[in-house]
Amino acid sequence: MDERIVEFTHLLRRQGARVSLSENIDAIQALGIVGIEDPSMFRDGLRATLVKRASDIRTFEELFDLFFLGLGASLRQSERDLMDRLSLTPQQYQHLLEEVRRLLERRQNLSPLARALLAGDLAQAERLIRQAIAQEELGQAGGQIGVALYLRLAGRLALTTVEEELGSFREMALAEPGDGDKRDRLSRYVEHRLQDLSRMVRDLLRQELKKRSVVAPERERPEYLAHKNFAYYTEEDIRRMNDAVTRLAQRFKNLLTLRRRKARRGRFDLQETLRKNLQYGGVPFRLQLDRRKKEKPEIIILCDISDSVLNASRFMLQFVYSVQDLYSKVRSFVFVSDIGEVTRLFEDNDLQQAVELALKGEVINVYSRSNFGRAFELFYREHCSAVSGKTTVMIIGDGRNNYNHPHDWVLKEIQRKAKRLIWLNPESRWKWGFGDSEMPRYAPHCDVVEECGNLSQLHRVIERIVP
Amino acid sequence: MFSSVEDVIKRLAEQKYLCTKHVATVVYLACAMRKPVLVEGPAGVGKTELGKVLASALHLELIRLQCYEGLDEAKALYEWEYAKQLLYTQILKDKIGEVLEGAQSLQHAVERIANEDDVFFSQKFLLPRPLLRAILSPEPTVLLIDEVDKSDTEFEAFLLEVLSDFQVSVPEIGTLGATHRPFVILTSNNSREMSDALKRRCLHLYLDYPDPDRELEILKLKVPGVGEKLADEVVHLLHRLRKLDLKKKPSISETLDWVRALTLLQIERLDQQLVEETLATLLKYEGDIRKAQKEMKDYLAERKAKIQTAVVTSDKDLLH
Repeated sequence: MDERIVEFTHLLRRQGARVSLSENIDAIQALGIVGIEDPSMFRDGLRATLVKRASDIRTFEELFDLFFLGLGASLRQSERDLMDRLSLTPQQYQHLLEEVRRLLERRQNLSPLARALLAGDLAQAERLIRQAIAQEELGQAGGQIGVALYLRLAGRLALTTVEEELGSFREMALAEPGDGDKRDRLSRYVEHRLQDLSRMVRDLLRQELKKRSVVAPERERPEYLAHKNFAYYTEEDIRRMNDAVTRLAQRFKNLLTLRRRKARRGRFDLQETLRKNLQYGGVPFRLQLDRRKKEKPEIIILCDISDSVLNASRFMLQFVYSVQDLYSKVRSFVFVSDIGEVTRLFEDNDLQQAVELALKGEVINVYSRSNFGRAFELFYREHCSAVSGKTTVMIIGDGRNNYNHPHDWVLKEIQRKAKRLIWLNPESRWKWGFGDSEMPRYAPHCDVVEECGNLSQLHRVIERIVP
Repeated sequence: MFSSVEDVIKRLAEQKYLCTKHVATVVYLACAMRKPVLVEGPAGVGKTELGKVLASALHLELIRLQCYEGLDEAKALYEWEYAKQLLYTQILKDKIGEVLEGAQSLQHAVERIANEDDVFFSQKFLLPRPLLRAILSPEPTVLLIDEVDKSDTEFEAFLLEVLSDFQVSVPEIGTLGATHRPFVILTSNNSREMSDALKRRCLHLYLDYPDPDRELEILKLKVPGVGEKLADEVVHLLHRLRKLDLKKKPSISETLDWVRALTLLQIERLDQQLVEETLATLLKYEGDIRKAQKEMKDYLAERKAKIQTAVVTSDKDLLH
């Protein structure tokens, strides 16, 4: 059983659930306590020890069914079919089994598989077949059973011999003294077992193939992602990037709490000093300083969400909201030509969902043409009161204004009022100023202008802008 | 401790806490494996309650540590009372003189004082906070660490250390280990993801809203005297409400409050006006209430239609 648990955890890991070795040990220990007889307890025991994230529960349930129940259900069904077909009560069925086992004792030279099948020990039969399958090279057949594969497996299991053995057993049973009814039943029993055999081989093989075709996510390729421009991201890349951003955010948070703790300057703290120096009889040997409270800044993000910079906006929004407890207040706006506030979305939904909603044009029309000037002017008119001396304003956009009026005075105004004005441009620096790019006009009003087109640049930018 | 999964279900039910077999299995496992349980799930499904009833079902003391932002060791583990220590030394000055009386040399005096060391550095001056209390308790206890997601990452790291071997080192007196491992329940509302390291040390239990039948059972158990029809209607309505996209979905505890209120008002069936008046006990946001009102109307209209068709068919029966 332990082996199967280990195999199961491998599958879970391939599906993205994080299962550690110690959790694996826990699972095996848990099974030792709850036992494996009761399927629901078995499942609960595994789930409590292996799955620690609510989002992984569904994956677990699916895999569990596939892995542990797939065949069991079909086997139980087979038993029931058998009883129905021979129109036997469970008691009579037991009787029949005993009869078969008695006959089996007289036949010593049967192969293990045939013996297990005839004795109704389907679990043993399953184990034998599994072993055979494990030795086969399955390759990536994608859930389809090839004829060649089946034949190879049949050879390995010596299915023809098993069939012959079953046949000869039936003849032996028919030659037994006793009433015709009973003989008939025995012969039909053997027939049914033959069908069971081929079905089991087929089902097990299919299950095994399905397990292997559970696609392993491609190797994490941080270097590859690090330099790929956001604009060319595929959906797969975006998903992986989401993870990367979350990790990044967590790292920065840890870094900052550390930094804060080490802060050794500050005002003299009378109360704490007295308290700490009581151990020296109240003589102030050790001065205690008030850990200077860092003023948490406010941040306002303006995101261009036209197609060309969509991904950069996505990751920046995600990052800022992941570390939002470092800020006293976060407000976010999206614009193309109109501008709209999306802060509410982040309050009402979870992060991923909110980001998607914000980018899909929940609040503004995303099908218009970029007009930075107009968006800035609107921002100035409606939301400028949000900017104060504590605010960092961050703009994400390529500055391609479609030859509209740039209204760069708004930036000048914002810079005057805000603590810092940061512009992140996903376009390469050498393209700035060509065509309809208004970067040369906007850049002088910003405190920080950075290129932010791929992951490694995002890293650098974050290093600079985090409080 | 518990002897089997069925035993868990039975003994929790005696404490008026109905749980599924799943919950019981995890509790039983945690008990047998001596591991903490991390309980996650939406607000108000009975996470904290689980900790409380476990303590009373096992007849153990419940020690509760409520987490919040800024919670630190001094508030969670222990504090050393220097003031008290100093005071003692001051008051005992004369006594110390007596002890030292007749000492031949300085060396001798130091030795005598050293014999009395325990007086100055003992657990007397240790002010235990919940975690240390759980560790030092001579009896086994249930330690409920509530809303652990509200605490800082630093505190989480510290908690890890305590949870892994249940011993703490106090610089003044040395390492203190637990005589009995407390049964630890951590609850989390998922306001942030807990670290993998913490999760690894715990068994995981996800509590969700119960299915209608179970909720009905809970209602009947917790609100004695609730009308059969009323309970049934409330449960169905709630399940419809939970399917709506609400900012805060009505929880079990809120449902119980609502039903208690309705029972107090001696109401047997839901109707439009009544529901609108009392909806505020169930939902806490203006927007949610507005959404819910619409759903309520639909529900009541449907019910009316159902009753009418029932009446019509019974009329027909009479005509025949």
